[in-house]
Formats: sequence, C-alpha cells, structure tokens
Amino acid sequence: MSQATTKTQRRVSWFEATARQRLAALLDPGSFTEFLGPAAREISPHLALFSLPAQFDDGIVIGKAKLRGHEVFAAAQEGRFMGGAFGEVHGAKLVGLLRAAKAASRDAVLLLDTGGVRLQEANAGELAISEIIRAIVDLRTGGHSVIGLIGGRAGCFGGGGIIAGCCTRLIVSEPGRISVSGPEVIETNRGVEEFDSQDRALVWRTMGGKHRYLTGGADCFVDDDTAAFRAAAIENLAGRTPLTVSVLEAEQARLKARLRRFGTAKDGSEVWQALGVTNPASVPGMDTEEFLNAVRAVRESADDAR
Amino acid sequence: MPGKNWTTQKAALAERIEAGGRYATGKLVQPGDLGEFFEAVLRAGDRVCLEGDNQKQADLLAQALAELNPARVHGLHMVQSGIVLPEHLDMFEKGIAKRLDYSYSGPQSARIARMLFSGKIELGAVHTYLELFARYFIDLTPNVALIAAVSADRDGNLYTGPNTEDTPTVVEATSYKSGLVVAQVGEIVERVPRVDIPGDLVHFVVPAGKPFFVEPLFTRDPAAITETQILTAMLAIKGIYAPYNVRRLNHGIGFNTAAIELLLPTYGEQLGLRGQVCTHFALNPHPSLIPAIEAGWVEQIHCFGSEVGMEDYIAARPDVFFTGPDGSLRSNRAFCQTAGLYACDMFIGSTLQIDLAGNSSTVTTNRVAGFGGAPNMGSDPHGRRHPSAPWLQAGKEADDTTPPLLRRGRKLVVQIGESFGAKNEPLFVERLDALSLAEKLNLELAPVMVYADDVTHIVTEEGIANLLLCRDKDEHEQAIRGVAGYTEIGRQRDRKMVERLRTRGVIQRPEDLGIDPLDADRNMLAARSMKDLMTASGGLYQPPSRFRNW
Repeated sequence: MSQATTKTQRRVSWFEATARQRLAALLDPGSFTEFLGPAAREISPHLALFSLPAQFDDGIVIGKAKLRGHEVFAAAQEGRFMGGAFGEVHGAKLVGLLRAAKAASRDAVLLLDTGGVRLQEANAGELAISEIIRAIVDLRTGGHSVIGLIGGRAGCFGGGGIIAGCCTRLIVSEPGRISVSGPEVIETNRGVEEFDSQDRALVWRTMGGKHRYLTGGADCFVDDDTAAFRAAAIENLAGRTPLTVSVLEAEQARLKARLRRFGTAKDGSEVWQALGVTNPASVPGMDTEEFLNAVRAVRESADDAR
Repeated sequence: MPGKNWTTQKAALAERIEAGGRYATGKLVQPGDLGEFFEAVLRAGDRVCLEGDNQKQADLLAQALAELNPARVHGLHMVQSGIVLPEHLDMFEKGIAKRLDYSYSGPQSARIARMLFSGKIELGAVHTYLELFARYFIDLTPNVALIAAVSADRDGNLYTGPNTEDTPTVVEATSYKSGLVVAQVGEIVERVPRVDIPGDLVHFVVPAGKPFFVEPLFTRDPAAITETQILTAMLAIKGIYAPYNVRRLNHGIGFNTAAIELLLPTYGEQLGLRGQVCTHFALNPHPSLIPAIEAGWVEQIHCFGSEVGMEDYIAARPDVFFTGPDGSLRSNRAFCQTAGLYACDMFIGSTLQIDLAGNSSTVTTNRVAGFGGAPNMGSDPHGRRHPSAPWLQAGKEADDTTPPLLRRGRKLVVQIGESFGAKNEPLFVERLDALSLAEKLNLELAPVMVYADDVTHIVTEEGIANLLLCRDKDEHEQAIRGVAGYTEIGRQRDRKMVERLRTRGVIQRPEDLGIDPLDADRNMLAARSMKDLMTASGGLYQPPSRFRNW
C-alpha cells in the first residue's frame, strides 16, 4: 500500500467528522457537558410545516468543556443536517451559549459548518444571526476570545460568514470555505461569466481556506486533521486582545487598503501574485507545510480585528 | 452483369475530393472555409458519421455542420455514437439532418425525447456501441466521416492521443468503402508522435487551433460516496468477487462501483483477496482505481477511452495500461467492448430501475439517454467458448442437470444499488418507465439496459439475491423482492418464501456473510477526496478544475 493511503487512514479528517466527533477530538477527553442535548428534544417548530425531518439537537451541539485544562464554552454545527443552517432553535442555542460564556467569564470556540440561514425559518434565523453577532461582540469587549474553526463540508456562508468575521481568530483548513454569498448565489445573481460555481478550483481560489489565510480572512491555516485543529485552538486561545474602537479602526484601514491593492484582480491567483507569492499557480497543489513556508512572509494579517 | 459500372463509389469519392480540394491547400482546410467546404463535399441524404461518444467530440466539425444552410445541405442520415452536443440536435431542428441511428445521448436525453416525440427526428434505432460499429460495416456504412484527432502532419497522418476511442473503427468503415474522411485536429505538426490513423485514409484535415472537447465522465469524487454505498460494495466484494474469484471484469460508472474500487486496498486486503480478484479490467482509467493500482492489485487494464487528468499517470504505468511508442495511452472502444463482452467474467453496475422480472433500465418517462456500452458488457455472450472458473461456476449454479461437458458457462451480470436511489426514488418498480416511453414514442422495443435473463445477481444494502439459483418464476420474483428493502416491491414479499430462499443461500443478508453494517464507514475508503486520489498517484493524476476543492 502506498504511503499516502496509510497516511490518509491515520489522520482523523475534520472535514469527514460529524459535529460530535469534532468536539470529541477537539476538547479534553470526557470534559464536555452538553446543554440542551438530544434528550431535551428541542426541535425546530417550523420544519414539520414543510414535511421536513427534524433533529433532536436541531443541528447544533452546545456545552462547556475543558481545552488543555481551561474551561471553554463550545458549539459545533452539524453540516450534514440542513447544511448546518441557522433556524430558530439552532440560533437560540448559540446565542444562549455565548451569553452563558459571558456570564461565566469564559472564552468560546465555535465549530462553524453552515450554509447560512434556513430558508424555511428565515426570519427567526436572521434575527438569531444579529443576536449572535451582538453576543460575540459583548464577549470580546469584555476581554474574552471567540475562536472560529472552519473546515467542514458546508463551509461557512451567509450569516455564518458574518459571524466568522466577528470572531477574535479564525482557524481554517484547505477544504474550508468562508464567504457571505455562496458560489451558486453569485452565479444566479451575476451570471456564469461573473462566477462559474461549477468550477470548483475557482471557488476555492476565491473563498477557500488557503485564499482566506493569504488575505487575512483567517489567522491560522492547519491540515484537515482534528489534532491540528486542537493544537491551533489551544495556541490561539492563549493570547487575548480585547475588542476596542482602535482595533476596529485599524481593521477598517486595512480593508480599505486591501480594496485599493487588489480591487481589480479577476482571480484569487492574481491577488496572490500581487501579494508577492512566488509561483502563485502552484499554491493550490501545495501541502500545508510547503504552503505555510511559501506564504508566511507575504500574507496579510487581520490585526486581531477581523 | 455486362456493362455494369463497378466503380461508382470510387468515382463519387474522387468527385468529392476534387470539390473539397477547391477549399483546401493540400489536405488542409481552414476552419473559416468549413461552410463552403461542407457544401462542396456533402450530398443531400448522405450517411454521415460525426465522431463523438460519451467522451471525445469532433466539436468544431459539429458546429460547422449545424451552421450549414439547409437549402444546400439537407436530409442527412446521421450514424454516430453520441448525441451529446447541442449542435447534434440543432442540425435536426434545422432540417440539415433527418434520420438518426445512434447509441448514447446522456446530456441531451430530455431534448432528444421531445424531438423524437415531435417528429423532428426519424429514428432508425438506438444501439449499443458495438452494435452500431458492427452496422458501420454492414448496412450503415458512412459516406462521410467527420472525426477528431490531437494532431496531424501535412500528409494527414493522425495522432489521436489517449482518446483514440472510436476513430479507427469509423475510419476503417468509411475510408475502405470509398467514403470521405475529414479530421479536425488540435494542431499541424512536422511529425506526429505516433501514427494512429494512416494519412492515406484521411482526405482532409482541419486545424482547429484547440484540442477537441473531452468530457471527464468517469471521475467520481470519493467525498460523495455514502456509507450505504460502502455497505453494498462490501457485500459485493465478500459475497460475489471472493466466492467466484472474479479476476477479469468491467465496472460500471456509478458511485457503488467507485466504492468497490476504493475498498480493494482496505477491505479487500483484509479479506486476503489481492491477486485473487480484480486483476484484469476492461475499463476506462477510473481515477478511483488509483489506490488499488498503487497497492499492486491490478495487472492489466484495456480502455475504451481515456479520462481527463489521468494522462500522466497512465503514461507512468505502462505495465498496467496499453500505451504507444510515444508513451501515451492507446484506447479503442470497439476492441474494449469486444474484450468486455468475451474476455470478462463479470459486469457490475448500478441502474435506475429494476422490475420484478429483473429487467433494468436507466430511462425515465421523459428522457432517452441511449445505451452506450452497458448492455453489451451486461450480457451473456452465447458465442463464448473458453472456460474460466467464475464462468463455469455460474453456469453450474444456473443449470445443475445438464452434463458438465455440454453445459454453457454464464457471465456474472450484477446490478448494484440502494433500494431507494437518488431523490429517494425506489430502485424496484412494478413496471419500468421505459415501457411508457416506448408507448409514447411508438418504439418497437422498450429501451431495456440489461435484460432479466442476463442478470445473475442483485446487490442492495439489504443483501445479495443470486438469481442463478432460482428454479422458477416465483422464486425469481421473491428473490428480487427479498432484497428490495422498504420499497413497495420489497414490502409485498412473501416472508416465508424469502426465508426459505435465504436458507438455500439464494438470498444472503449482510450477517449471513459476516458483515456488520456498522463497519461500513467512510474511513474504510482508500481515498476519501479527490486530493487523496491525487496524492495516491504521487501527483501524477491532475483532477479537472471542477473536481477540485483546493
């Protein structure tokens, strides 16, 4: 058997894992206490109207746990249930968790895997997004960190993309995608000439993990490996920068500069070229170590603001 | 017959060559002159083979043909493998073409059904590839063949590259029967890397300035393989591949067989089957077979066509693939279909509908997808005479009364799928949609992909039905119901009879084979993503853009 095949089997893929498997691998063994678990049967009050199946946890697992001995509040979205989308209960659970973290003066880790808001309960979902943003900002201005981990099948889209933008730090892997409008939405609204959602390599050059890391849209790039996510989460929880007006102003200035610098680029690879990456065409094919070595010096950083 | 002219066809060819030559420099015709060129060489009612199948397409020639003025060129009889490009149907819409004999129409299945229904197309028949090729030599010989190649020299010698596919067959039938051969090529070169088609069979060459279109039809993203598909794959490997020792075979195109390919180096290895099964294939170069090839499972593969992105990998594994002196793959659809028919002991593939008799079809009421090669692979060849262990064993199971020396063997023809398929449509039905379609279009034959009397096994997540062991119609029907899960067909089973069939081994459940469905886990796949496949190939496999999530 080739080396590559055996390697594939040893690694536990974050992309492949369920929400519960990710939490189990991320947190200290046996430390997780779930809030409103499946036994509580807090299911969506709306899905039945559309003859859609419900799930007892409404596609999100929340609770408190330890991460290398430190207590944290954690939430994990299940991308396999309705694409990890936010509904009324799903959203309320995350709002509640973030508020509880604030009350308990703890950091939060969010395992995001979502296509955005559920169309079937859009109003409740959109309201939940705003409440989540408010709760994250409250937690951060209080001096606590909110770490987002993104590398699931559904990516992190729609309201999820905005939530990601509010986190203290984002950890992303290559298959992870972060954006507000998804590929199909862009194609539908602006035409296939603007964006071909079937061209998956283009999608990843535009919103994939490597591109987001290169442009400061994510702070940490890891292998598609639960152990790598854990190590990165521990490392990123260590340093804390409270969210202040001056941090936000610095970020605003950076984003303005970014628009000036890359605004005319037609493709992610042109942005990489402008950043000064040698041989940008080879970026997608690089493994993690190769990639980090090639881009660490030239990538943009988000100055802890997002 | 005194006085009869025996050389009218040669004379007609000479006329066409002379007429076409007015738009050519030597053999070269520029793309901009194609309209006038075609008007000069085509005659109303000509039998035309426009090359194109489920993979490669003579796309430039198709476009030029569809843009002709129907007042000048009309009533063509198209005899071609594939109705795939929109232009293939545009020419019927405009009246440039009238009659059609073909094989495969996957991407145009809905439009061709509408056009057949509205009478825009006069249908001869829908064939399997091999059948249509056969008819090229008997009663559907083309007057003109429009083909595609990678490059040509100025004498018209053609290099077809890894996607040779139908070209030699089409040229053989056309050129040696005084037909005209026109080739589109990506580029004109001083010397072609290898001569796939000798220049004296090719009359005109059109430098297209770009490669012909090829569809990556056989690429299955391992990320989309479900655990139910993994379970059916485990059942097939342990319940069919192992006991019959199936070494020579063809796999269908679906995710179930991709799962089998990806389980060989893991589950198959655990079962100790390396070298015992899956050593020789008639198969396109499926990317999902890379881990098995790398793990030393596969001795030899002959290919119908190539697969986009697999070129460098194939060139680096000439012990496994058929390659030319230039190093690249030589594929040949006609030979590979023949190999699949006569030299393989098993065909396994998925389908959309299976009826109570065991007939299967991929047709739905409003779509005519054609056949391609599956019915040929999935049929028991009565002309076969050489013995092999799986063939003899299947023959014995089907017939335990005839003396062994007079008993035919049987090819294993396995249908594999989940009891509820895509969009939760039941795999098992009382009546095939193909029958409604045949009634609607007044066809003489319903488009059945694999006939009931050819099917030997059906595999679903509920188990394996061995139809060879059924002794009457009742048993046959209950064996099918017995693996039909919670579909209507499955729920109407005679439970007692199904249990009796199970004790006889006609039906085998996962537990009968020592398989725990909970073991069907994606971690069993030797590759779980396109990137894993690329890595397993040592970076030689370069997946097309649309399959990359990096």
